[in-house]
Amino acid sequence: MSTVLLLNLLWQIGTLALVTLGLAIVFGKLRIMNMAHGEFVMLGAYAPVITAGFGLPGWLQLPVCLITVALVAFVLERAIIRHLYGRMFDSLLATWGISILLREAAELVFGRGYQSVSPPIPGTLHLLGTDYPAYRVAAMALIALGFAALAWWNARSKVATRIRAMTGNPALAQAIGINTGRLSAASFVFGCTTAGLAGLLLAPTVRIEPMMGLDYLVRSFFALVTGGLGSLEGLGIGATLIAGTQSVLGALVNQTSGYLAVLTLSILFLWLKPDGIRPYSR
Amino acid sequence: MASVLIPVSLLLGALLLVPQALGEFTAYQLGLYLIYGIAAQGIGFLWGKTGILPLGQALFFGVAAYATGMALRDGGGLVLHLGLAAVVLAAIALAAFGLAALIFRGRADSGPYFSLITLALVMIAEQVAGTTTSLTGGFNGFSGYDSLAGLDPFGGFYYVIVAATAAVTLLLLTLNRLPANLIARAVLDNEPRLQLLGYPTHAIKGLAFTVSALLAALAGGLFASHQGIVTPDATGFALSAQLVILTAVGGRFHVLGPLVGAVAIGWASDSLRDSFPYWELLLACLFILVVLKAPGGLAELVERGWRRIIPARPAVLPPATEAPAPRAPQDPGALAFEDVRLQIGVVRILNGVTFETPAAGIVSVIGPNGAGKTSALNTITGTLRTTGGAIRLGTQRIDNRPPHKALASGIGRKLQVPSVFFSMSVAENLTIAMMAGRARWSDVLCRSPFGWRSGGLTRVLEHAAVPLAAELSRPAGTLPQGHRQFLEFAMTAAAEPPVLLLDEPCAGLSPEETALMTDLVRAYQAATGALVIMIEHDMSIVEAISDRVLVLHQGQVLAFDSYAAVSADPAVQAVYAGGTK
Amino acid sequence: MSAHLEIEALTGGYHDTNVLFDVSARVDRGEVLGIFGRNGVGKTTLARLVQGGLRLAGGAVRLKGREVSSLAPWDRRALGLGYMPQTEMVFDDLTVRENLMLGENARAPEEYFDLFPRLAERQGQLAGSMSGGERKILAFVRTMIEDSDVLILDEPSEGVQPENIERMAQCLRARAEAGAAVVLSEQNIGFLTSIADHLLGLDAGRVVLRETAGRVSAEEVRALLTV
Repeated sequence: MSTVLLLNLLWQIGTLALVTLGLAIVFGKLRIMNMAHGEFVMLGAYAPVITAGFGLPGWLQLPVCLITVALVAFVLERAIIRHLYGRMFDSLLATWGISILLREAAELVFGRGYQSVSPPIPGTLHLLGTDYPAYRVAAMALIALGFAALAWWNARSKVATRIRAMTGNPALAQAIGINTGRLSAASFVFGCTTAGLAGLLLAPTVRIEPMMGLDYLVRSFFALVTGGLGSLEGLGIGATLIAGTQSVLGALVNQTSGYLAVLTLSILFLWLKPDGIRPYSR
Repeated sequence: MASVLIPVSLLLGALLLVPQALGEFTAYQLGLYLIYGIAAQGIGFLWGKTGILPLGQALFFGVAAYATGMALRDGGGLVLHLGLAAVVLAAIALAAFGLAALIFRGRADSGPYFSLITLALVMIAEQVAGTTTSLTGGFNGFSGYDSLAGLDPFGGFYYVIVAATAAVTLLLLTLNRLPANLIARAVLDNEPRLQLLGYPTHAIKGLAFTVSALLAALAGGLFASHQGIVTPDATGFALSAQLVILTAVGGRFHVLGPLVGAVAIGWASDSLRDSFPYWELLLACLFILVVLKAPGGLAELVERGWRRIIPARPAVLPPATEAPAPRAPQDPGALAFEDVRLQIGVVRILNGVTFETPAAGIVSVIGPNGAGKTSALNTITGTLRTTGGAIRLGTQRIDNRPPHKALASGIGRKLQVPSVFFSMSVAENLTIAMMAGRARWSDVLCRSPFGWRSGGLTRVLEHAAVPLAAELSRPAGTLPQGHRQFLEFAMTAAAEPPVLLLDEPCAGLSPEETALMTDLVRAYQAATGALVIMIEHDMSIVEAISDRVLVLHQGQVLAFDSYAAVSADPAVQAVYAGGTK
Repeated sequence: MSAHLEIEALTGGYHDTNVLFDVSARVDRGEVLGIFGRNGVGKTTLARLVQGGLRLAGGAVRLKGREVSSLAPWDRRALGLGYMPQTEMVFDDLTVRENLMLGENARAPEEYFDLFPRLAERQGQLAGSMSGGERKILAFVRTMIEDSDVLILDEPSEGVQPENIERMAQCLRARAEAGAAVVLSEQNIGFLTSIADHLLGLDAGRVVLRETAGRVSAEEVRALLTV
């Protein structure tokens, strides 16, 4: 396999892992089936469009992205999401409503057409005997660093255990001293913000438009279902499986086959092994 | 039957007047809303009763639409078309039943995973429809055919749609009055309890899903004739999601709810979409509000208002009749454990349990916490899978079977935490219990089981101190703990199982209630000659009613003898002091 | 000196229906208050109103002199209130060890492993896979090791074998002697009267008996537990 294909594969896996991280927290830990997950990716991807529209310097893209996404997530959590903990089907429906809301709002503000932004790091890098976009290399390095830091923190912190306790038995969690309102809001906002960050990173490489989120939603869900809902290793396995299948088959046969293979694989896992390959970090 | 015929007649009457009163173009538009409404009624039936949320109904809708278009294009008369329609519907029914039953087998939840599977399936369908251009016409759509019997969508075809709508509404309203309705709702309420009453819940869910699939397919077939063209949208996720929204907003707990939702949203959409740019936003907000605050949708709000003016009349029950005999074998024999092992992870819960009970009588199971008592009962009913050994009832091997098969072998089980159908009244709980192990599939579709009574159940209910007779219309979830214990006992005893497993039947009961429960157990055993196996902590009860006592400790049998012998055994005394409440 | 726990004219219930009416009591340091009554009289409602899991419809709760009626359960926990619920008393998806170490503890669980050796053996096991009685013991030990000095326990002995109930009584007596205020609601009268200093009998949501233990006869107690 040529080096470009390999690097593309790594790019697809890395970006899918980052996109899925938010859903791993919101669905995997908080048990909210966030059908609006893709829309937070979309919001983050629009941040460069916002800064360009206001004539702001490029380095403000990151804070604009973080603030916008975090604010929207916080408002939605306090208004809607906090009524849905422990009600998985209702969370599916209500967040589907939110996704329609966000898509329509984006359409009203930015219009229905495609936008594109140029990468902050232009040009190519000579890597492993081939030229590859420098921006993608930098982004992949950043993603890898970010996950390493997250894994390190997760092994040391009690927060993940607290979240699991809170989701399983909120009344008891409150009785032993966990401020469940604050913890769930913080977790939801954090999850959605990572999705926004993923959108920001992806923005220079995709067409930005209000409907772009659906594809990320579907692939994130299937990555979690196959890899495992509750662990970082599961996240990695799932992203590799889904992005890998789609890329490899897309390159060898055609895009449609890749897409259909991913759907079929997901159905098999949902049926036979719905907890995924690595559901717990044990 | 008036409660069924009046709404259907009113609906029919109103719909038939539309072309005259509002014009043929309005009738054409209404026809499309009604088509979506029929598909939504299918979703309402499935989701409202069993709690299963299908996210891919457009799969059946679209496949039926394409099939209808293809059949109509290939010519032939009406008879041939209807014959082909029957074949297609049969194929869809088989596929839907197979899909649901397979996926739900061995599980006890209406899980979101099934919803995601239907989502993935409809996405596959949409992709296939869009890319197999030779078959479906791809994104340009499939067209070039006449509607059914050449009827004009702007004229005669409207009446076909009305007839279909009325027929579907009639069917669903009739189903609401039958025991099948209770059983479907019980699946959502407490599936493990329903399984222990002998109902194969995966098949029940399969049937409910099949009904919803057939309604979606019927709608799809009508759609093809109505529109004259079928595009991949007809089998896409967007349509599936829209149908769910129509059902939710209209109301999934009422038969007419989804129709109301489809017509209201369809009409508002067509009127406002071009003039009001925020229409989609408003609809999304409305949908979220319904999910959060009004899960029963518009129909429930209307009904609540209606009930304030006209209170609900209690349903007329059929006359009391003797229930058919239970199908379970009456004298299955003794229960035997042969070196049964149960290991979960590193923990050995059952570590080689061997004993054989007498064929009848009361056997108490005692032992320290964690000895494996409830786990032993769980292996008998198949709730837990053993990792070694065998369990026999008479000559039949009964270990490692799905829980719904337990009752057919003659085993009834009362759980440690009282488990009843919380959202249903005491009377409805007892009806479901009365059908357990006695009803045939055909009985479920007629009203007589509501009147079934048996000697055993009447004995329990007429016992002076049992509080249930006065509480028949109360929802079981509002009963205090003690009454729930009695209800669950009555339900378990109703099927008259020759082997009765009771897990701490006196837990949470006052001393007087405890004495009453003990009397009921003794009376049951005396009247039916059953084998009763009872886990207990209270030694005074154990002493009073046991024929034999089984002592479990650390997953093994420590002693199995009369109470006197067991209480004098020094090994038993060493690990288990015993005491009274 | 103000009582460790004081409840005044407590009224409350579920949705719009009150099930508890005008209940008052005080528990000082070192005292054990025993609450008894039939099923459905309001014992669990009372515990949850004091602990904060249910909102008060009327009355007040004071912890060591401080008004806590509008505080969330986690804030009351931080002020020293410990609670052992009657049902769903452990985190099923967490191991025994994780259950024990999740809260703010003042002592190590090892201090209780002699009395309850099964717990020590099962530390890596998921709490949800344990038997009912073992889960009660886990919840009990968790409550004992928290840094709380006002303890509320709702039917801790239900489903627990008699010798472990004996050990629970020992632990509670020791905590009371060390200065804690304990509120214990129970159906097991033997257990209750063996450690309670004062008794409170409830019927239909109201206080119908208030006595020092030892001054009330067994018949009076049984009468209140009649169906």
